[in-house]
Amino acid sequence: MTQTVLDTEPDHSVEELEDLAYELRRLLLNLCGTYEGAVHIGGDLSVADILTALFHRGLRIDPNDIRNPARDRFVLSKGHAAVCMYIAMAMRGFFDYDDIVATYGQLDSAYGMHPCKVQLPGVEASTGSLGHGLPLAVGMALSARHRRETHRVVTLMGDGETGEGSVWEAAMAGRSQKLGNLVAFIDRNRQLMTSFAEERVMFEPYPDKWRAFGWNVVEVDGHDMRQLVDAIDALPDPTSDVPTVIICETVKGKGVDFMERNLAWHAGSLGAQDLERAMAALEASRNKEAH
Amino acid sequence: MPVTFTFGEMLSARSVIGSTLAELGATHDNLWVITPDIGATLVEFRDTYPDRFVDVGLAEQVSVGIAAGLAYDGNIPVVSGMLPFLSMRALEQVRTDVCYPNLPVKIIGTHGGLVGNGGSTHYAVEDLSLMCSLTNMTVTSIGDPVMVGEVIRQSMDMQGPIYIRLAVGKKDMVLYEPGQHEIRIGKGIVARDGSDVTLFTHGTTVAQALTAAEQLADDGISVRVVDMWTLKPIDADLIERCASETGGRFVVLEDHLAYGGLATRVADVVADRGIALTSFERLGIPQVYAGFGEDEQLRDKHGYGLTATVDALRRAVAPVPATA
Repeated sequence: MTQTVLDTEPDHSVEELEDLAYELRRLLLNLCGTYEGAVHIGGDLSVADILTALFHRGLRIDPNDIRNPARDRFVLSKGHAAVCMYIAMAMRGFFDYDDIVATYGQLDSAYGMHPCKVQLPGVEASTGSLGHGLPLAVGMALSARHRRETHRVVTLMGDGETGEGSVWEAAMAGRSQKLGNLVAFIDRNRQLMTSFAEERVMFEPYPDKWRAFGWNVVEVDGHDMRQLVDAIDALPDPTSDVPTVIICETVKGKGVDFMERNLAWHAGSLGAQDLERAMAALEASRNKEAH
Repeated sequence: MPVTFTFGEMLSARSVIGSTLAELGATHDNLWVITPDIGATLVEFRDTYPDRFVDVGLAEQVSVGIAAGLAYDGNIPVVSGMLPFLSMRALEQVRTDVCYPNLPVKIIGTHGGLVGNGGSTHYAVEDLSLMCSLTNMTVTSIGDPVMVGEVIRQSMDMQGPIYIRLAVGKKDMVLYEPGQHEIRIGKGIVARDGSDVTLFTHGTTVAQALTAAEQLADDGISVRVVDMWTLKPIDADLIERCASETGGRFVVLEDHLAYGGLATRVADVVADRGIALTSFERLGIPQVYAGFGEDEQLRDKHGYGLTATVDALRRAVAPVPATA
């Protein structure tokens, strides 16, 4: 079988990726200012850097050849971050951003609160109910292994959703089946919808839990592009036996100071005034980090 | 080499699942079998195609999630296990991961109804109601063990998911001579023709229905037994035809809650099509957690055993008393 060349985009530098992540946040806020309904803005902002690192560097994908069997598969397990994924994919050339903004959440739109593969074939799976992405990814990784294909299957989970038992069933299955082609990113923002996680659920010692399940555990700052890129570049060979989890320490609402670690911004909408305020906060945050 | 069987013989439906999947594994290199620790009859498949066999241990949710992931990648996955757990513990995975994207996942399992003496944790008595409510799901309940193989073979070409319900599946009566009836998903089988009353049933109670019909024949009562083994999509044309050909008299017998299963499916057709009936009675499990006992004992206790079936059929054909 002739393998179509994927990865049509050149590897971006860390600085370029940081610029793209900033742009992703800006486009995200802009959509929130246009759309009148609620958007999961807090959890979108916490994964903006991870999704940028994946869609512009980590994943071998081609927006012009979305069914190429050699492509890496990406399953957004935290489906409520769909809009951030749509925009990250739009920036990579999969979709048209203006089309997303113009139709988001409307009748017959392909773009809504949780991704639907039936309506939007560019995404790999229909998700939204939490704790489902890792089991799906295990199935996809098994299939790849069976075909002796060497692409990776990557899923992105929120830490809160790892309270679901199905996640740990899948953690056991992924290791038992020796799926070194399986990679789980965890958005460790330490917030649930209505509380700060450790107030309600004792997740710690979190990395040790994954180690105890036999996974290769990598811990990074999920907003440090250099660390994300290094973790991606250092992934074990897909033909190896041990799945990898990359635990990304993140901040819900990252980049907009009044949203950061603020339970009120799990989901919300932005009026004109809030949009202006959020954009200014985003720019200030960027300038602060640049210095 | 397919083995032929004779009516009335006892055969293990489980062994038919195992042998059929092993046979299909040779011609379908994308057929996978996943089981949550219920793989004893799948040994032939496991040993022949170990790289397409996954035993996840006691983990029903991930067994269905993995099946969906495999199906997304172009495979035909079969999940085989005990139905009380696949239909309820993994219900949301079945609905969200399989039915929503309409993936060709086959769920084949045992312990449908009050079977196996396991107690109420181990009886699937709500499963058909749950599965029939899922968009895209085809729902079947099969009594004849030979049919199981035929239906699995047919299901290989289906685009969407299918639920195949068996009883315990260790010792099942062969109901039909090979070639006697056309087996087609979505079409009921007139297992015995009759003109006075139609007895609709499915799965393990088909044999009981045929016995009841035989008993009543001695009294000159002609009972039509319809094996409505596909509950969804239901064979509405057959239901309508039976109403006109058997005097509008219906009895529904099933090893499932009396409300929510086949009786409800038939009643929906009757209401939706405006079919006029003379009588309608449902025999099934009342709203109880049934307790221990052998299959026949439990059916008797809960009012849908052989005697109750015969009595219901007699009531259906009894002349309506003149009002004073």
